[in-house]
Amino acid sequence: MGQGTPGGLNRQGLPGDRKPDGNDKKEKKFEPAAPPARVGRKQRKQKGPEAAARLPTVTPLTKCKLRLLKLERIKDYLLMEEEFVTNQERLKPQEEKAEEDRSKVDDLRGSPMSVGNLEELIDENHAIVSSSVGPEYYVGILSFVDKDQLEPGCAILMHNKVLSVVGLLQDEVDPMVSVMKVEKAPLESYADIGGLDAQIQEIKEAVELPLTHPELYEDIGIRPPKGVILYGEPGTGKTLLAKAVANSTSATFLRVVGSELIQKYLGDGPKLVRELFRVADDLSPSIVFIDEIDAVGTKRYDAHSGGEREIQRTMLELLNQLDGFDSRGDVKVILATNRIESLDPALLRPGRIDRKIEFPLPDIKTRRRIFQIHTSRMTLADDVNLEEFVMTKDEFSGADIKAICTEAGLLALRERRMKVTHVDFKKAKEKVMFKKKEGVPEGLYM
Amino acid sequence: MASQDPNSASGSGKQDEAGKVPPKDPKKKDDKKDEDLSDEDLALKQQLELYVERVQDSDPGLQRVALESMRQEIRTSTSSMTSVPKPLKYLRPHYGTLKAYYETMSDSDLKKYLADILSVLALTMSAEGERESLKFRLLGSDGDIGSWGHEYVRNLAGEIAQEYAKRQLQSDETPFDDLMELVQQIVAFHMRHNAEPEAVDLLMEVEDLDLLVEHVDKTNFKRTCLYLTSSARYLPGPDDMLVLDIAFMIYLKFEEYPNALQIALFLDNKEYVKQVFTSCDDLLRKKQFCYILARHGSNFELNDEMVVEDEEREALQEIINNAKLSEGYLTLARDIEVMEAKTPEDIYKAHLLDGRASAGASVDSARQNLAATFVNAFVNAGFGQDKLMTVPSDASSGGASGNWLFKNKEHGKTSAAASLGTILLWDVDSGLAQIDKYFHSNDNHVIAGALLGVGIVNCSIKNDCDPALALLGEYIDKEDPSIRIGAIMGLGIAYAGAENEQIRSKLTPILNDAKAPLDVITFAAISLGLIYVGSCNEEVAQAIIFALMDRSDAELGESLARLIPLSLGLLYLGKQESVEATAEVSKTFHEKIRKHCDMTLLSCAYAGTGNVLKVQNLLGHCSQHLEKGETHQGPAVLGIAMIAMAEELGLEMAIRSLEHLLQYGEQNIRRAVPLALGLLCISNPKVTVMDTLSRLSHDTDSEVAMAAVISLGVIGAGTNNARIAAMLRNLSSYYYKDASLLFCVRIAQGLVHLGKGLLTLNPYHSDRFLLSPAALGGIITMLHACLDMKAIILGKYHYVLYFLILAMQPRMLLTVDENLKPLSVPVRVGQAVDVVGQAGRPKTITGFQTHSTPVLLAAGDRAELATEKYIPLSPILEGFVILKENPEYRED
Repeated sequence: MGQGTPGGLNRQGLPGDRKPDGNDKKEKKFEPAAPPARVGRKQRKQKGPEAAARLPTVTPLTKCKLRLLKLERIKDYLLMEEEFVTNQERLKPQEEKAEEDRSKVDDLRGSPMSVGNLEELIDENHAIVSSSVGPEYYVGILSFVDKDQLEPGCAILMHNKVLSVVGLLQDEVDPMVSVMKVEKAPLESYADIGGLDAQIQEIKEAVELPLTHPELYEDIGIRPPKGVILYGEPGTGKTLLAKAVANSTSATFLRVVGSELIQKYLGDGPKLVRELFRVADDLSPSIVFIDEIDAVGTKRYDAHSGGEREIQRTMLELLNQLDGFDSRGDVKVILATNRIESLDPALLRPGRIDRKIEFPLPDIKTRRRIFQIHTSRMTLADDVNLEEFVMTKDEFSGADIKAICTEAGLLALRERRMKVTHVDFKKAKEKVMFKKKEGVPEGLYM
Repeated sequence: MASQDPNSASGSGKQDEAGKVPPKDPKKKDDKKDEDLSDEDLALKQQLELYVERVQDSDPGLQRVALESMRQEIRTSTSSMTSVPKPLKYLRPHYGTLKAYYETMSDSDLKKYLADILSVLALTMSAEGERESLKFRLLGSDGDIGSWGHEYVRNLAGEIAQEYAKRQLQSDETPFDDLMELVQQIVAFHMRHNAEPEAVDLLMEVEDLDLLVEHVDKTNFKRTCLYLTSSARYLPGPDDMLVLDIAFMIYLKFEEYPNALQIALFLDNKEYVKQVFTSCDDLLRKKQFCYILARHGSNFELNDEMVVEDEEREALQEIINNAKLSEGYLTLARDIEVMEAKTPEDIYKAHLLDGRASAGASVDSARQNLAATFVNAFVNAGFGQDKLMTVPSDASSGGASGNWLFKNKEHGKTSAAASLGTILLWDVDSGLAQIDKYFHSNDNHVIAGALLGVGIVNCSIKNDCDPALALLGEYIDKEDPSIRIGAIMGLGIAYAGAENEQIRSKLTPILNDAKAPLDVITFAAISLGLIYVGSCNEEVAQAIIFALMDRSDAELGESLARLIPLSLGLLYLGKQESVEATAEVSKTFHEKIRKHCDMTLLSCAYAGTGNVLKVQNLLGHCSQHLEKGETHQGPAVLGIAMIAMAEELGLEMAIRSLEHLLQYGEQNIRRAVPLALGLLCISNPKVTVMDTLSRLSHDTDSEVAMAAVISLGVIGAGTNNARIAAMLRNLSSYYYKDASLLFCVRIAQGLVHLGKGLLTLNPYHSDRFLLSPAALGGIITMLHACLDMKAIILGKYHYVLYFLILAMQPRMLLTVDENLKPLSVPVRVGQAVDVVGQAGRPKTITGFQTHSTPVLLAAGDRAELATEKYIPLSPILEGFVILKENPEYRED
C-alpha cells in the first residue's frame, strides 16, 4: 500500500477532470496536501511492501483436508491475481509510466543528496532536520516522501541545496547484527557427531520440529519449547551440535558469542540484544545461538563497577527478549555454556529456557565412535589398535580425542611416514594427557 | 488427496540413517553400521534375523512362534517423532525375502499372520504409490487395527484414499466392500482417538460420509460437526451440501437443535426447519428457534403440525414476526444509557476542528439540511426520540417538527418525513400514530415521505393486520409519481423477503404500464426484487424482463434504469445455477444494458458463495479496457466483493485483488473499488482497509473520493469508531467548499454513529455463518445506486439510502429468562478464535472482558456465559438468547 498513487495527493490543483469552478481552483493550489493517515511513531510491524503482500493465516495447523482446501483457496486467488496483472501489463505496460515518474522524482531530489537526521516533525509538511556537522534547519518535506514512515530520530535524505527532506533511509539493521547471520552453512552435520543420540533427539524436538512441524505440537495441545541450553564439560560437543543444527536447518541461523554482547558504551549491549531479536523476528523462522552465555549471564550481585552493571543490564534485556511482553513466535534460542551453575536462575527458568541438555564426557561406546570419525580419513597402519585407547580409564572429552588423532598424525608427518602407527597414537595420547593435567587451556588444541 | 503424508515417518527415518553414515563407499558403510550398533541393538537385530529365518522354516509350530515374537517386538517398540522404530529398521533388509516367501506359502492362518506383519513393514518399505501396506492388510487377518499404532493407521488411510481414487478412475466393477470394511475400522479408531478431522477426511475421500453418523458420540460430535461445517465453505458443490446434510443429521441425532436449525437455514431448506420443530418438544427451546428465525429475517409460518397448541403457536409466531425487537433494543439502549437523543451537531463535533470548518455555512443549506436529516435519522434510528423530528410533537403542537420538515426543499421533504420512520424503526404502533399526521399534508413530497416512513417502521416486522399493506396499497396507483414511489418503496422495505402474493399482484401491473415514468418502474422493480429476494419467482422475473425490454433507448441510458437489472438479480440472490435461464434471456436485451445485466445477475446469483471461478470470471471482465459509455465493470467489481465476502480467507484475498484493480483500473473501476471494499468489511473497520479508503478519499477523481467517503461510513457503520470519526471530521474540513463531497462526509458520519453505535449493517450473523438475504439485498441496492453517485444520491433519489435500513440489526446479546423477560447475567466477550480441528478444549475467545448482559458485540466478537447458574438454549450467544436455570448449579 502507499505505492498505488504516488504523489496522487498533491495533484489536487492540476487541471483534471474536476468540475471547473474558476478561482476556486487557484486557491486550491495553496491548500495543504492531504494529511498523513497518522503522525508520530511509525508503525513497527509494517515491513515495507511485505506487509501488504502478506497472506492470511490458515488456522487449523493440523494436516487435514480443511487446511488443504483453505490453502488451495488462497492459491486460486493468487493465480487470479497473477492472471489479472499479466493481462494488464500486456495491455498497458506500467513500466514506462513508472520510469517517467521515477526520473521526475530523481530530478526533484537532485544529486548528490546529503544524509541527515530528523529532529522534530513540526506539521504535516515541515520538519526540523540536522546534518552531522552543521546547525539545525527548518525545512519542508517533499510530498512524495512517505510520511507514515517518518519519525523523529530517523535517518533521512536531504536536498543538497535547500536541505528539504527528499527521502528516508529505510535500512537500519545494525551492521553488528547482520554479520551474526550465518550465510554459509557449516560443514559439520549430525553425522559428524559421535554418540549424543539423546541430545540430538532433544534438540531436534525443541528447536527443529517446532519450526518444521508445528502441527505436531498443536495436535497434542502443547506449546513447543522456546529454547534450550547446552551445558557440559569443555570439549563435549556443544558448539559442534549447534553447528550441526545450523547445517541441517533451512531457517535463518544467527550466532553470537556472549562476549560480543558486551559493548563499550552504556546501553549499547542491551540495544544489540534487542536488535538481534528484532532481526531474528524479521527473518523468522530463525534460530539464535548464543555461545558462552556465561559471559553475560552470570548471577546478579551488587556490582560496583559500571562495567559489571552494564553486563547485568545486558542480561536483563536478554531475559526480557527470551520471555518478555512481546511474543517471540518462530524464534528459537540455543544457549551454550560450560558453567551452568554460575548462570542466573532467572535465565534458566522454564518459559525462558525450557530444556537443559547435558553433554556428558563420552562413554566407551561414544569414544569408539568419535575415534572412528576422526580416524576415518587417516591412513592407519595395520598395527593400530584403537580399542586400547577406547577402553582406557583416562577421562577424554571429544576434543581430547580429536587432539590425540591430530597429534598422532603430526608425529607421523614429522617422520615423513605415510601411515600412522600405534606408537604414534600412544605418544600422542601421553602428550595430550600430560598437557591436560598441566592445566593448559584446552583452547590450544583446536 | 490424502490428508497426511503417508511417508512422513519413513521419510525422516531414511534421512536419519543416511545422515548417520557419511556417504562414502557402500561396502564400508554396511560394515561400519554393524560396528557402531550397541550390544542391545545388535542382539535385537540378530534376534529378528533369526525370526525371519524361522518364519521360512517348514515347521508350522516354529513359524507361528517366530511370527508371534516378531509381532511382539514390533508392537512393544516405541517410536519417536523423528526416527523409525528399531525393529522396523532392522527388518527392512528382509522385507523382500519375507514377501517372496509369502507368495510361496499355502493359505493358512499363518499366511494371514505374515500378511499382517508385511503390511506393517510396508509402512516404511513400499515405494510410493504401490500401496502394499493396504494390499497385505486386505490379505491379512482382520485384527484390531489400532494395535499397530497411529502412524500405521494414518498410512493405511492415505493408501485407501489413493486406491479408491484409482479404482474410481478405472471405473471397473471391483466392489469397494473390502475397502469399506477397513474404512469402518479406521473411522472407528480415529473417532475414539480424538482424530475427528482425519476420520472425516477419509470418509470424504471414499465418499461415504453417511458412515459418520454411526460413529460419532456425545463427546466428539461437536468437534466433528464444527469441522464439517467449516469445510463446507471451501468444498466445491455439491459436496458442500452433502457435508452440511450430514452435519444436520448429526446435530439432530444429539438434539443440538439450534445448530441443526442454523444449518437448515443455511441450506435454505424449509423441510429441515420443519423437521427441527417437529422433533423438539420443549416449548422454551422452540422459542429460541423462533428468535433465530427472526434474526435471519425468515418468513417462516408455523403450522399445527409443528406446534400443536394454538396459543403457543401464536406466541411463537409473534417472536418470528419480530414484534419484540423494538422492546429489546430499547432495553439495551437504556442499559447502556444512550437513550438521550443526539443532534447532528453532536456527531459532526465541529468544535474539535480548527477555525475554518465553522465557516462552512457558505454552502447551500438545503443540501446541509438534507444531510442533517439523514444523520439525525441514522443516529437516532429506532430510539423513538430525537431532537429534530419528534421532540416538539407533544409540547408545541408539532410546530418545530414541521419547521424542520420545511427546512428541506421538495424531494428533501420526502427524506425528512421518512426519517421519522427511521427514528421509530420497529415500533409499529407508535410509529404509525406519529407518522399519521403527515398523511393529511397537501404537499405530495411529504405524503410520499410519510408512506416511505410507514414502510420503514414495518421493516422486518410482521403484523397480522398488515398495516403497511393496508395503508400503502391505496397510494400505489395515485397520479403523482413521488407519492407512488414512496408507497412502492415503502412496501419493498416493509415486506422484503416476505414473498407476498397480494403485493405482487399490485406491483406487477406497474411494470407493464407503458405510461408509467422510469423512476416509478425502477422502484417497483426493486421493491419486487426485495420482496421476492432469493425466491427465483418466475412470474416476477418475467414481469421485470418485460419491463426492461420495453424501455426505450434513451431510458436505458439513464443511470436509474441500471437498477432494474439489479432487481432481477435480487430474485436469484445466492441461488447459483437457478439464474441461468434468466441469464440466457438477458443476452437478448438492448446492448446498452446487456453486459451490465449479465454482470449483475452473475454477481447476485453467486453472492455469498465464495465461488472462485465466478470471481475469476468477474476479474476477467474487469481486466478489459473499455471505450466510454459501458458501465458493466462497476457491478463486476461489486460482484467480486459480494461473492468473496462469504468466508474470511476469500475476503482478505479479495481485498488484495481489489488493490490491483485500483492500480491498473480505469476510472469506472476505481469508482467501484471503494464500494467493494466497503461491502467486504461492512461494519468491520479493518485498519488496512481504513487506510486504503482514507487514501482514496483524497483522490483527484471526485467520484472515487465520494465512494471512498461513503465506504468509510459503511465499514464503520454502527461502531462509533474513533479513528474513522476523526478521519471524517478532517475530511469535512478538507472538503468544506465542495457541497457534494461534504454531503457524503456527513452521511458517512451518520453511518459511523448508526443507532449511537448499537446497530450493525453486517448481513452475516450467527458467528458469521448465516447470511440474511434481505439485508444483503438492501445493502447492494444502496451500493449499486452509489455507482453513479451524482445522478442518484446527489440527485433527487437520495432516499435510496433508506434501503440500508433492511440491514440494520442491533449488535447485541440480550439474555432473557424463561418468561422472555430481560435477565442480566455476567458474560465474557472477546475476540473469536477459530478452534476447528484443534486438540483438547481450546478457548473459543481471547482477550475477553466480563460484562453483564445486555452487551454489545463488535465484528469478530464472541460471547460466552461467565456463570454456571444458567444454561443458554442456543450455543451461539447473539441477539436474543433464552437462559434456563441450571438444575445442577450449587451456590458456593
